[in-house]
Amino acid sequence: MNNLIRELRAERGWSQAELAQQLDVSRQTINAIETGKYDPSLPLAFKIARLFGMPIEMIFVPEEE
Amino acid sequence: MPRFSQKQYEGRVLVAMALYTLCMLVEWPLVRTVVTLPLKCLLALVPVLPMIYVIVLMARRIRESDELERQMHLIGLGISTAVVGAASLIGGFLSVANVLKLDGSILIWVFPGLMFCYGLARWQVARRYGMGAFCESDAGASKYALFVLAGGVLLLVAWLGRATLDGVRSGFLCGAGAGLMALGAALFVAQRRRRARSGE
Repeated sequence: MNNLIRELRAERGWSQAELAQQLDVSRQTINAIETGKYDPSLPLAFKIARLFGMPIEMIFVPEEE
Repeated sequence: MPRFSQKQYEGRVLVAMALYTLCMLVEWPLVRTVVTLPLKCLLALVPVLPMIYVIVLMARRIRESDELERQMHLIGLGISTAVVGAASLIGGFLSVANVLKLDGSILIWVFPGLMFCYGLARWQVARRYGMGAFCESDAGASKYALFVLAGGVLLLVAWLGRATLDGVRSGFLCGAGAGLMALGAALFVAQRRRRARSGE
């Protein structure tokens, strides 16, 4: 799964730690999501979408098969 | 509610380990001198209390982890349970078949064995997600300092107890202490190299 979290975070000038604090997860979890090493659960994905004020499918894009 | 940080967890585990060491040095030698059974049982089980506290801390740490950390804890605990369970089964069957001589004291090593395998497995899983051995490595104390400190404590215990400890125990404490300090030094060098490479 690809995502735009790094770009959206950079647009808002947030550090990984600041985003992690707002989502109540660890900074390493944000890093793992941004680098595509971990796909978040649906509740966390919705939380991310709500935080950035965007629909979930605009942030998370499935990899083409 | 703020998350139970790695720093808080490490601080409390260090206190529990210091209490455990104190119990083993001060209270445990009395067990062999006491004759009444209830008092013997009580004295024998005192070192278990700080270990139970560590288990409670671990449970709290896992409960307050985020989803990825929980996944890593689960995989680590699953692998360590499988490894230690299989080793116990193998040892048990070999002992019953009189191939291997094992006494009850081997049970003391089950918990440390579980923790060691858990740490190793979690470290491997964390690497897969691009993390270090610890979920919040940048939030807690420096890992190399903790290893050096733990090694120093073991060497101090060996030195303080040189009059009462037998050769095997002294050797174990000295070896483990020196090993931990060497590991701490290796981690320090690795961290310096990593920082130099990333230009920090």
